[in-house]
Amino acid sequence: MSENTMLSVRDLRASYGAIAALHGVSVEVAEGELVALLGANGAGKSTTLKSICGVLRPVNGTVTFMGEEIANKTPESILRKGISLVPEGREIFTSLTVAENLRLGAFASYKKARYEADLEEMFGLFPILKERLHQPGGLLSGGEQQMLAIARSLMSHPKLLMLDEPSLGLSPTMTDQIFELIGDLHKRGTTILLVEQNAERALEIADRVYLLKTGNIEFAGTPQQMESEVDIAAVYFGGEDAGESCEVVS
Amino acid sequence: MTGEFFINTLSLGSLYALMALGLVFVYGILKLVNFAYGEYIMIAGYTMFVLGTYTGVPWYFTMLLAVVAAAFTSYMTEIVAFRPVRTKSMSAMLVTSFAVSMLLQNMVLLVVSPRARAVPLPALFNESVVVFGVTTPLRNILTIVTAVVLLVGLSLLMKYTVLGIAMRAAADKFTTTRLMGVPANLVISVAFIISGTLAGVVSIFWVSRSASVDPLIGFAPLLIAFIATVIGGMNSLTGAVVGGFVYGLLFNALSIMLPASMLNFRDAFMFVIVILFLLFRPEGLIRGNYTEERVG
Amino acid sequence: MADRISSGGVARHSTPWLFIIPIALGAVIVNAFASPLVVGLYTYFCVTLMLVLGLQMFMGNSGILNWSYVGFMGVGAFASSILSVAPAVKAMGVPNMYPFLVELNAPIPVAILVGGLVAAAIAIVIAWPLMRLSDAVGVITLFATLIVFHVIMTQWDNVTNGPRTFFGVPFFTTIWIGAGAAIVTILVAYYFRESSLGLRLRASRDDRHAAMAVGVNMVAVRYFTFVLSSFIAGVAGGLWAHYITSFSPSTSFYVTEIFVLLTMLVIGGEGSISGAFVGTAIITVLRELLRQVESLINNSGVSLDVYGLTQVSMAILMIVILIWRPTGIIGGQELRWPLFKKKGVAEPASGAE
Repeated sequence: MSENTMLSVRDLRASYGAIAALHGVSVEVAEGELVALLGANGAGKSTTLKSICGVLRPVNGTVTFMGEEIANKTPESILRKGISLVPEGREIFTSLTVAENLRLGAFASYKKARYEADLEEMFGLFPILKERLHQPGGLLSGGEQQMLAIARSLMSHPKLLMLDEPSLGLSPTMTDQIFELIGDLHKRGTTILLVEQNAERALEIADRVYLLKTGNIEFAGTPQQMESEVDIAAVYFGGEDAGESCEVVS
Repeated sequence: MTGEFFINTLSLGSLYALMALGLVFVYGILKLVNFAYGEYIMIAGYTMFVLGTYTGVPWYFTMLLAVVAAAFTSYMTEIVAFRPVRTKSMSAMLVTSFAVSMLLQNMVLLVVSPRARAVPLPALFNESVVVFGVTTPLRNILTIVTAVVLLVGLSLLMKYTVLGIAMRAAADKFTTTRLMGVPANLVISVAFIISGTLAGVVSIFWVSRSASVDPLIGFAPLLIAFIATVIGGMNSLTGAVVGGFVYGLLFNALSIMLPASMLNFRDAFMFVIVILFLLFRPEGLIRGNYTEERVG
Repeated sequence: MADRISSGGVARHSTPWLFIIPIALGAVIVNAFASPLVVGLYTYFCVTLMLVLGLQMFMGNSGILNWSYVGFMGVGAFASSILSVAPAVKAMGVPNMYPFLVELNAPIPVAILVGGLVAAAIAIVIAWPLMRLSDAVGVITLFATLIVFHVIMTQWDNVTNGPRTFFGVPFFTTIWIGAGAAIVTILVAYYFRESSLGLRLRASRDDRHAAMAVGVNMVAVRYFTFVLSSFIAGVAGGLWAHYITSFSPSTSFYVTEIFVLLTMLVIGGEGSISGAFVGTAIITVLRELLRQVESLINNSGVSLDVYGLTQVSMAILMIVILIWRPTGIIGGQELRWPLFKKKGVAEPASGAE
């Protein structure tokens, strides 16, 4: 563990009822890094993020953020510590306007003096939001909702931004935009933990990569290492041992 | 439609709308049909009885304390009974609310009496006033005015305060709201306090119709709230209000239309009408953003 | 499918017998040695058990709170009583009764069966649309159905004598009838739970979409179970009526009654017949104890409304159970013989590593 490790997940185990989803996952994110967590459907990527931010209570293992143990804390307190999750499927408040969504993103860290400046910054990153500021979130397109979701999380000035499948369901053009945006955020110094099914794009911008397979880390290293050592197609489309399914434990 | 019928229905509808609103506030966020809601009304009624009969507290202060008592009871039931069960199942919460309701009812029955008690009310409640040429007891007008004030106040709260935004968000997606840093307990407690406050206000006007209170007095308003809510649509505050007015209209209309011999069956008629309505439109009159899944 | 004896040395279908044997033995012993008061109490326990089991069949397997259940009990009570009470008694006791009802007469066992059938018939007519509603709307609608039952039963004095007492019902439910009915119901409830219908119902409760994905027709499954459960309620209502011989709808088939049944089921555990049995036993004993407490207190000069005390105790007990162990004392699984597994017997792998 290096000095500027921000997030350290050790031996994380999580279950949905009787079904074990994570069998001891260890992940590290250092300050300023963009770390990608890849894997096929059902590998446990979302589960990992949910366990980190408190939506799911881990069965075992530790989650240390900035030196503090957060494994059993509530989602709202973890947000206050500086971790913000952009959930899978965006989870925009559809009956609230764009402005209200953003305002809620700033709930925990609201400072009247800088709020307007924060909003302007968001409008700079996502001009479309300014256009649609007073429209209900439900009327936005998929890509616009994704941008709103990211902006909403950014309003809390998170130390660690976690994104759960941001390109899911988006058109190729939108996907390009989103990845470009994530890359920009990274360049500006935001620490990012990115969960993606779209391995190719994620590998382009990530500093380091973890590969998750049915609840276990199969690989950890740089994108270059991964491309030379791992048969990515096999992981996603099935290889000799890719027929494992989630363990069902009584 | 005579002027009297109009004022009557407006007043009844306002009361029913407040009843429904109190129920929906908790339902929207927790998705819980709170059977104990009727008991908040009952507690407020007994507060008025005790204060009015045994102390010299002036009536307006008594009413205020009654509302506070209801809000406080609501808040406490959440902390003591609902919060620990929240993480278990939906059905556990529902049964808990039923148990809390029975507990409160029977505690009052034990401590006070199963028999009805008279509640002293200010004389001006029953004084007749003339509004737009219609003679009606003042309390009808007061009901309408109070309802309007509360509805406007709550709308402003929900629309323009951060708390209101947070509560609307919580009713939409509870977990995601927590991810924004909004404390779950805060939102839920506020919902229960608002619900209890509405129950307290309802109690003032409900009790004043009979000028008495008994342990089961919360049951009828609870039922009205149930039905009005499903008529209007359980997924929006607007729906609750609309449902309340529609139900009030239905009640008064049936009271006039039914032959005297069938009047005893009025409640049954109303429920059957409502049930039939639900079968064709389970989401109620006002579609919310998230519609109840119909199973089949 | 699985062997009768599964791994772990547990007899697979031993559950019903865990209760049938004590019930039968209990009936013999109580009848031989106990006072008439206790005999009556035991009989009442058996009829109540039948009621709770009928409720468990639907509620425990579907997860839906059926508020209207005691309404069907009332239907069975009235239908069977109208048939079994002699016309002369009816004409006197229920002055406004429709003449054709006054004339109706049938032997008591037939009457009780018909009571169940009438309840089932009503269920057949009204339940289908009810089963299509879900969650909150369903809860409220079922509750409203209970109210409708109540209003009709307390107002339709051409049939029920209105809110007044319906009396003159011939006594029929002896301790043997009661125990026998309870035993039959245990078997019905158990084999229902283990049947294909019961399994499908439980699947739909646990995960609605998964169940639909494997072809479970949720509405149909709920519907059939509701009708069956209502039939049991009707028969139990008839047996109950022919035990207490006079009753009034204003105090018998309403919110308090469903609360008592619910308490029994929830405390024991709604997911199994073992839970239903344990819960019924505990609450029956509790109520008797409280009755003794009342006599003691009343004899010492202080009068106390034990009615309220019983409700308060049950409510507190229910809340405690829901907080501490919401699946009930028994939890969701049936008790089997042997009750405790022997050490050293290989158990299937349990828990995440």
